[in-house]
Amino acid sequence: MGGYGDVQMLDENGLRMDGRNPADLRPISIETGVVPVADGSASIRWGTNYAIAAVYGPMECHPRKIQRQDRAVLDVRYNMAPFSTTDRMRPGFNRRSREVSKVTADALESVVLLEMYPRCKVRVEIEILCAEAGTRCVGLTAASVALAHAGIPMTDMVVSVASGKIHDVVVCDLNKEEDNYGEADLPMGILPNSGELVFLQMDGDLSPDEFKQAWDYNMEAATAIHEIMVEALKGGDS
Amino acid sequence: MAIPLVPKLLRAHLAELAENDERHDGRSRWEARDTELEIGVLPRAEGSAKVRIGNTIVYAGVKFQVMTPYPDRPNQGGLMCSAEVRPVAGPNWEPGPPSPESIELGRVVDRGIRESGCIDVDDLCIIPGEKAWQVILDLFAISDDGNLFDAFALAGIAAMRTAIIPQKRFEIGAEDRPLIVSKTPIMCSYQKVGGRFVYDADGKEELGGDERIHITLGDDGHVHSLQKGLRGIFTDDEFSEIMEQAQSRCKDLREMVNKAEEAG
Repeated sequence: MGGYGDVQMLDENGLRMDGRNPADLRPISIETGVVPVADGSASIRWGTNYAIAAVYGPMECHPRKIQRQDRAVLDVRYNMAPFSTTDRMRPGFNRRSREVSKVTADALESVVLLEMYPRCKVRVEIEILCAEAGTRCVGLTAASVALAHAGIPMTDMVVSVASGKIHDVVVCDLNKEEDNYGEADLPMGILPNSGELVFLQMDGDLSPDEFKQAWDYNMEAATAIHEIMVEALKGGDS
Repeated sequence: MAIPLVPKLLRAHLAELAENDERHDGRSRWEARDTELEIGVLPRAEGSAKVRIGNTIVYAGVKFQVMTPYPDRPNQGGLMCSAEVRPVAGPNWEPGPPSPESIELGRVVDRGIRESGCIDVDDLCIIPGEKAWQVILDLFAISDDGNLFDAFALAGIAAMRTAIIPQKRFEIGAEDRPLIVSKTPIMCSYQKVGGRFVYDADGKEELGGDERIHITLGDDGHVHSLQKGLRGIFTDDEFSEIMEQAQSRCKDLREMVNKAEEAG
């Protein structure tokens, strides 16, 4: 979280650079069945972000050494395509993508009924084709829809969204400039039916009041995003 | 890539169909699946395209970097083309370093574009001996239902033809300018299925088929790259036949690129 120099993040009316109010989300649209060869898939456009998630399985678990006798293994990969960022991203795993893959897996394992498929594997592939800000939230949300589209039993879908702080004002769903110059970022993974959490990270600087505000923004946003997810699944596409 | 078991039944079925000059999805021998091309689909890339051939879906994105020219070619920039088929694209694609299959994909597409001479590498020079543009074409598969080669080649050349050199962002010029791509090399791929070559093999035909041949042709029908892949034997008569087919199909696909470019 760097300083913002002379970049103006909020105008005199308290509106953000892209014209949003502090509590507003970027435009979100979701489509299912975008990877025809997968067992389930979804794509999300979220601001300029564009992510695709594909689910394969439940299938035989290879290599055998990672097999679990009592439940399925969830194999989650988050990756950014080389052309997804302003400067080209070198292909292959890096420390950041490994960490995002892990926390995404931890979140999804909390809702997928893995016990129903002992000795199996379910593969979840998240590909960021165009990145703006908040790609881990976009990826986790896309993966939830893809799992539901694949018919994998879950207690609930995970809705992931981040709020943060710019110019001492707490705002929901940071865009690229706000993320670069902002002072805090609080991404959460929320179960919309119960309000419980399965994913939580934070970096930056928030007072207890600001933290509460960011938390509440995420909770409200989750309800709105959940509706879009459900609509996409009802779409009846494939 | 995990090598899937090829059921004898599938091979027998494909051979039986071939005897009656049929294909399992009802296409004729030289018929392609529905092919769609969209350009300018990835805002972070300096040039981009999405191609769908049946259930095969790929993206291509162009990025630019500033490089030091090679000592023996101080006045030239460079072109790099790489293909990635990540496990998102199908149950048999595995994570990890690029597989031989995806390296072959990238290199065959690269040769077709490079050898056609469509990129003026001298035009990419910024300061002779010091700075030049490197064009990086990344090919990315989302869904593999066969014939990734043609999908990659089509998306690749369409993305290149619409690429903009980001001179302002690199503080090299006052204005961005289009990348000069003077030709449209097009690839056509043929696979032997049930004992005879067919055009645009889908996933099933690839699985139950034998050798494949990739032909890249330039604007004037000149051959720019050839590749024979997988185990199999073919005759010169077979090759002449598919070469003739490629000449006419390449023209149609080139027309598709031109139309997408005009519309975009």
